[in-house]
Amino acid sequence: MNSRLLLASLITWLAGCDRPGVPHGAQPVAHDSLAWTQSAFNTNCRGCHSQGAEGAALPLMNANYWAVATDAVVIEAIAHGQGRSMPAYLDDEGGPFTPAQIVSLVQGMRSLWGAKGSATGGEGGAISPRVIAGDAGAGAAVFSQACAGCHGPQGSAGSVIDPMYLRLISDQGLWSATIYGRSDLGMPSWSQTMPNRPTGLTAQEVADVVSFISSHRGIAQKASDGP
Amino acid sequence: MSFLKASLAWIEERTGAMAFIAPLLFHHVPRNAKWWYVFGSATLMFFTIQIVTGVCLATVYAPSAAQAWESLNYIDNEVPMGWMLRALHGWSSNAMVVMMAIHMLQVFLHASYKYPRELNWITGVFLLLTVLALAFTGQVMRWDQDAYWGLGIGAAIADRIPVFGDQVRAMLLGGPIIGGETLNRFYALHVFVLPGAAIALVGLHMVLIIKNGISEMPKPGAVVVPSTYRKEFEERMHTDGVPFMPDAAQRDMVFCGVCLIGLFALAAISGPIGPGGMPDPTLINTNPRPDYPFMWLFGAVSLLPPASETAIMLIAPAIGVLLLLAIPFFSNSGERAPSKRPAMVLLAVVTVMAIAALTWEGTTSPWSPVMDGWSSLPTPAKFTRGRTPLEMQGAVVFQYAQCRNCHALDGQGGRRGPELDAVATRLSYDQLVRQVQQGGGNMPAYGKNLDSAQTAAVVAFLATLHPSNEPDSMIPGAQLPIPTGSAAAH
Repeated sequence: MNSRLLLASLITWLAGCDRPGVPHGAQPVAHDSLAWTQSAFNTNCRGCHSQGAEGAALPLMNANYWAVATDAVVIEAIAHGQGRSMPAYLDDEGGPFTPAQIVSLVQGMRSLWGAKGSATGGEGGAISPRVIAGDAGAGAAVFSQACAGCHGPQGSAGSVIDPMYLRLISDQGLWSATIYGRSDLGMPSWSQTMPNRPTGLTAQEVADVVSFISSHRGIAQKASDGP
Repeated sequence: MSFLKASLAWIEERTGAMAFIAPLLFHHVPRNAKWWYVFGSATLMFFTIQIVTGVCLATVYAPSAAQAWESLNYIDNEVPMGWMLRALHGWSSNAMVVMMAIHMLQVFLHASYKYPRELNWITGVFLLLTVLALAFTGQVMRWDQDAYWGLGIGAAIADRIPVFGDQVRAMLLGGPIIGGETLNRFYALHVFVLPGAAIALVGLHMVLIIKNGISEMPKPGAVVVPSTYRKEFEERMHTDGVPFMPDAAQRDMVFCGVCLIGLFALAAISGPIGPGGMPDPTLINTNPRPDYPFMWLFGAVSLLPPASETAIMLIAPAIGVLLLLAIPFFSNSGERAPSKRPAMVLLAVVTVMAIAALTWEGTTSPWSPVMDGWSSLPTPAKFTRGRTPLEMQGAVVFQYAQCRNCHALDGQGGRRGPELDAVATRLSYDQLVRQVQQGGGNMPAYGKNLDSAQTAAVVAFLATLHPSNEPDSMIPGAQLPIPTGSAAAH
């Protein structure tokens, strides 16, 4: 009797509809959940933009970043790539994402890692080397006060005016490195206290110092800079 | 009831069918032939399932290169329970190969191939080859990336045949390359030629079983003497045997029933096998692999030293098949008990272990690049701390140039190339530059992909990869300070 019951329940289960083996067909992958965002990030972005000290490039699990960057800026960077080392992720440019997926990814990342109340990014996102012109001369003074302690000739953290380094990083990249910092690696953010600069840097000072660092690029290499 | 009996008698009188069927059902089998003897029946059951589900699939499947892939998706998603049909056909195919291997192993361990059953064994070997051919051609029917690259490997092996390589490959593929005719060729093999051969061989196998009887359980000391064996065996069956139906058949039925339930459960849980991605040779971001019955071959071929490939791929299978066919001629008399044939038992154990190990290697295939390693595996924190801006850019270039797909850092990443955690203790700065730019030892040259700044950065990063308690490489040249800035350019 028991075995018949077992057999009957087995047949019922096999005839039922909710078997894990049923293929789901070729429906487009839903990309509006945070779970999708997390998994898309893990597969496509985490290699460089991981959190903590792991990210070789700018960490994106970073509220500072989302407080400043607007959706448009991030979407642009993901879709078409940025600088020398960030490839384009738009499907039309050989990447894995459709335009709609990129928008979902950016919105998803913002709600995962952005500070509350920064739905579209702060006005700082509008500030970029393309908006504020920097003065290299003024930047030299800022550099010697704020940066040279670590990045100067005697600094332990390595030179940021090394032309080889400057060939690989765009002005936008220098800008990002300055304003977001890498607190995980000991590099403070521009708005935080810096050595000899208890109030951090103003937007103009950031523009100046980026301009100063950038001036160490050889003229010939300017052409290879990213946006 | 009497009507039924009368009808049967009417048919029997005109056909003599019972005279043919009765020995099949009621031939005497050894009393001690217990659960060891169920594997052949289970193999036959899986073959029957293959025929039934295969015929059903053939009613929907479109055997043309342009439509095959879509028609499988149609079966999976549109045809009611079509996915179940494909799942059954796929998993039953794997189960059949496994069951056949177990059956063969049992026959080998019990030395049932000895006199007078040499031809039972030989038809069995041909059945094994036929079933493997069915499995391979069946994999081609999926017409997905695995099928495409599997065919590519098959064609490349055929190509290595001396003198006739081109012709054999053209015969296999229906042209110089994989094209529309290739699928038709394999379809004809898969649904006409090979099943026909299998049915004929199964028939022959059965006739031989009836003719020679089922072998008894081996007993130490009960030796096979060809001159007297048949007479004594028939006497023992007459006095001590039991009719196949129902004594042995009921065990077969129970075992087949369990297998059937297992098969349905497997099909319901795992679903249909494939189809994988589109069979598009321009999609290189794929990790094609054969079905399980060929995973050990895939592993073996992948691990072969390159110089020995042609010899081993072409000669080893031929020698293997000849050895299998020759087994009953090496020893067709004497002891059958495994305890009296330790060398044979050892041979079987080693073979099973080798196939299991190669299947594992093939399944994990550590030699394949991790295609998304560069974008999914972050740089371990211990390799980013305390790095200069240039070295950090080098870490980014390391990801960007997809070095990680073949090289692991901190245990994560591809295993095709060496792990680079301590590469700076092995290679000097100059050697690192040379290796990155010119490649070598299976590594492609990156000189054209990376410009001088990217090379300088990635080498600066690589030069930091050594344990903190160990100095940089002591190889001559390593003592030079790492050039910075323009010194390293050009």
